[in-house]
Amino acid sequence: MRPAQLAASEELEDRQLLARIARRDSRAFEVLYDRYGRPVYSLAMGMLRDAGGAQEVTQEVFLSIWRQAAEFDPSRGSARSWLLALAHHKAVDAVRRGRMRAAEPLQETKTSDLDVVDEALRRVEQGRVREALVRLPAEQREAIVLAYYGGYTHQEIAGRLGIPLGTAKTRIRDGMIRLRGTLAGVKEVAP
Amino acid sequence: MTHEALRELLPAYALDALTAEEAREVRAHLETCDRCPGELALLQETATRLAGAPVQVPPPPQLREQILAAVRPQPSVVTIPRGWAIGLAAAAAAVIVVAALTAARFGQQVAQLQQRIAAQEQVLAILAGPTAQTSVLAGSIEAGVKFVYDRTRGQGALVVTDLQDPGRQSVYQLWLVAGAVPESAGVFRPAPGRPLVIPVRADFTRYQAVAISIERAPFGAAQPTTTPILVGRI
Ligand SMILES: [Zn+2]
Repeated sequence: MRPAQLAASEELEDRQLLARIARRDSRAFEVLYDRYGRPVYSLAMGMLRDAGGAQEVTQEVFLSIWRQAAEFDPSRGSARSWLLALAHHKAVDAVRRGRMRAAEPLQETKTSDLDVVDEALRRVEQGRVREALVRLPAEQREAIVLAYYGGYTHQEIAGRLGIPLGTAKTRIRDGMIRLRGTLAGVKEVAP
Repeated sequence: MTHEALRELLPAYALDALTAEEAREVRAHLETCDRCPGELALLQETATRLAGAPVQVPPPPQLREQILAAVRPQPSVVTIPRGWAIGLAAAAAAVIVVAALTAARFGQQVAQLQQRIAAQEQVLAILAGPTAQTSVLAGSIEAGVKFVYDRTRGQGALVVTDLQDPGRQSVYQLWLVAGAVPESAGVFRPAPGRPLVIPVRADFTRYQAVAISIERAPFGAAQPTTTPILVGRI
């Protein structure tokens, strides 16, 4: 099978799994875990850099899937997208909770932001995504990495970088449009 | 905010980089806009690529066990003989377990239950049906409330296993929601320490949700006067 066909058949399977999970099929849930446990855990690890936290997030994500599988709407995107968006959402919540507990000062020096970006980029392994990020103008890359992997809101990013909110929004938007363009033609096969 | 202003927020929304308040506004707009959902889907595909990009590490095996154990059916719940004797509690336990059991085994369980608990006939009839569905109600309070229903037969029941007392001045009121219009399905008070089952007959294909609000005792209201504390999709 060509990669595109393979991806399409996996998407079909993912949808069927979610439909069965919505009917409380624990066997389908097991299959879904074996398919997505690793990417979900890896995303949480990449963002939290803490195995205990990543395990908690992974557990939260899958129990949410068990409860909310019926809410997946295929007309609004792929099952993989829905699932990883849910995972990212929970990971961001955990990152923000941790930050609140640590009472990290909102204003920090720029060097620490560069560290965050560099560190996050180092953990980006998937070749094409990494390449696409590296090819972005530096300030767009910084905004997107801080937002997506750092779990910062656009307001926090503006504050940290000392730029107006409008500028932060523009960098995120332009960066996303450019990323979409670079990645649109090249689809990797699902895990 | 206008479509133009909200459209500008979609890239940050796809990255989970909005404040909770902004994200709510975007979600509300997505319900009514015919252009933004398509655009968001494209942005989310890009975000999905970012999600799959970090270094892949296998989760620890015990995490798998932990997660799967949480959803695995627990047949022991339905075989505790003492459970049947207290009737309502057993029926409520059966509700929780129902979805996990195979149809054949469940038929036997239902046969046993039906002999023993006359008061639960309607719930059991619903549970026995191959088209029975369960909706767990969730909302602003911690509670154990489920709605079990069978669309094809128009039978349903609210099963309350855990719900705090609403106070002497108030009752809980159950609503069936069709579009934006809630219809009352009766008022109730939880029985302290005991599960409560409230049968409901209706054409469930007409409704999208069931909701519970707190209303004035003893009769409730013609329309909800407070925000529902619990909602379940049906
Ligand atoms: Zn719009």
